[in-house]
Amino acid sequence: MNPTKPLTRRALARAALAGAVAMSSAQARAAIGGLPSAAHGDSSPEWENLRAKLFGQRSVTIGAGKVQLIVPLRAAYGASVPVKIVSLLAQTAALSVKRMTLLVDKNPSPVAAVIDLTTEVGQADFETRLRVDEYSHIRIVSELSNGELHMDSRYVKVSGGCSAPPNRDQLHNLGKTVFRLPSEVRLNQPTPADVQVVHPNDTGFELNNVTVMFIPPHFVRSLKVSYGERRLFDAELDFSISENPAFRFNFVPHGAGELRAEVEDSKDGHFSGALAVPLAAS
Amino acid sequence: MTTRTRRGASALLLALALLLAPAAAHAGLPAAYGALVVEPAMAADGHAEFDLSPALARARRDGKWLYVYLGASDCPYCRKYEAFLAQNAAELLPHFSKYLIVDLRSALAIGAKALYLKVGASSLPYAEFQARLGDERTRMLVYPSVWLLDAAMKPLMQMPAGTGTFQTVDEQLEILRLEQ
Repeated sequence: MNPTKPLTRRALARAALAGAVAMSSAQARAAIGGLPSAAHGDSSPEWENLRAKLFGQRSVTIGAGKVQLIVPLRAAYGASVPVKIVSLLAQTAALSVKRMTLLVDKNPSPVAAVIDLTTEVGQADFETRLRVDEYSHIRIVSELSNGELHMDSRYVKVSGGCSAPPNRDQLHNLGKTVFRLPSEVRLNQPTPADVQVVHPNDTGFELNNVTVMFIPPHFVRSLKVSYGERRLFDAELDFSISENPAFRFNFVPHGAGELRAEVEDSKDGHFSGALAVPLAAS
Repeated sequence: MTTRTRRGASALLLALALLLAPAAAHAGLPAAYGALVVEPAMAADGHAEFDLSPALARARRDGKWLYVYLGASDCPYCRKYEAFLAQNAAELLPHFSKYLIVDLRSALAIGAKALYLKVGASSLPYAEFQARLGDERTRMLVYPSVWLLDAAMKPLMQMPAGTGTFQTVDEQLEILRLEQ
């Protein structure tokens, strides 16, 4: 039963962005101490609202050992909070994670990423970096192939993520998409890989120090990654992902092939990157 | 203006900023915390060097960790954190007992490129010093900043930029307990 039609992620982001632009001057200040604290597993009014919009009446299970979110209580910068998602089940034909929704409750646009994935990743673990604007819960909701929804959450304390000065050193490389293999390739086993897109991922809340005007939003909105002819994952993204969006993921090499990423941004920029994967002798 | 003259003028300005520091209301950590105060040495090219060597030697001798505070004489957020510490000294001080508190006294005019941190013979600009520590706060120098280090200069925990997220007693205690 699903009486409440969930909003699409993009419609939700648009609505949040419209509201956020109106309050942008209030966002552009550092958080101060003494903000309300919360336990990692707590709910929040924002989450209850998002849950209804994204998942309708469906049951979301917490603490069933299917997904774990690893985030420090405090990060060096609110504009770059490291996030690790660990799935506690393997990707098999019988049962797999088919979608992950990464949320930051109190961000102007709280849906940071929706990742649709296949069993080709082997192990549904991801790492990325998020902008977190104020004290907030970060949540991951994993949807399994049997329809179950599982959630884990962490409360993080940061300040001023969305108002942090943007890094504009690499604009001439905008869209450059690079893969890296942090360890050796393992045939027929989940193998980690990194993909990064050089992009300012402008939120629309950042001031240009020269013009004293807000820099318009310009961010990566879609990342599609494949290996050979096999789709690994498609991610719909938002400006809650830090500048130069980066993801660590897994893939299962069955033979020689090429990792490939197709990227689109919010100004209809299209970019791509590829890496021929060398297979180990074993 | 020659490069040499420019450097001289720059050094003079920074020295002036530091000279004026005592005029700022209650700049520095509250006296009750018994911090080891480190004033910078001003180099001819205008950079300010804070020598951490005596603090490290004392921490090793006393078997303590280091709570290194970098404040600026003209920084409102620094005054706010210092006032918070002063107001809550009775509650907080016992929890600082395992730390040697070090108070690096700077000024906002001393940016990342002009701020050097010295340990033994090695003197490094802020970003390089942070990279050497493995600290993620390389990109931007924020006043105030805090480092938690052991006596061998190993970070005990990645600290956030600024002190805005630990200006309640509970949150300051989280930091002192190294809660991640």
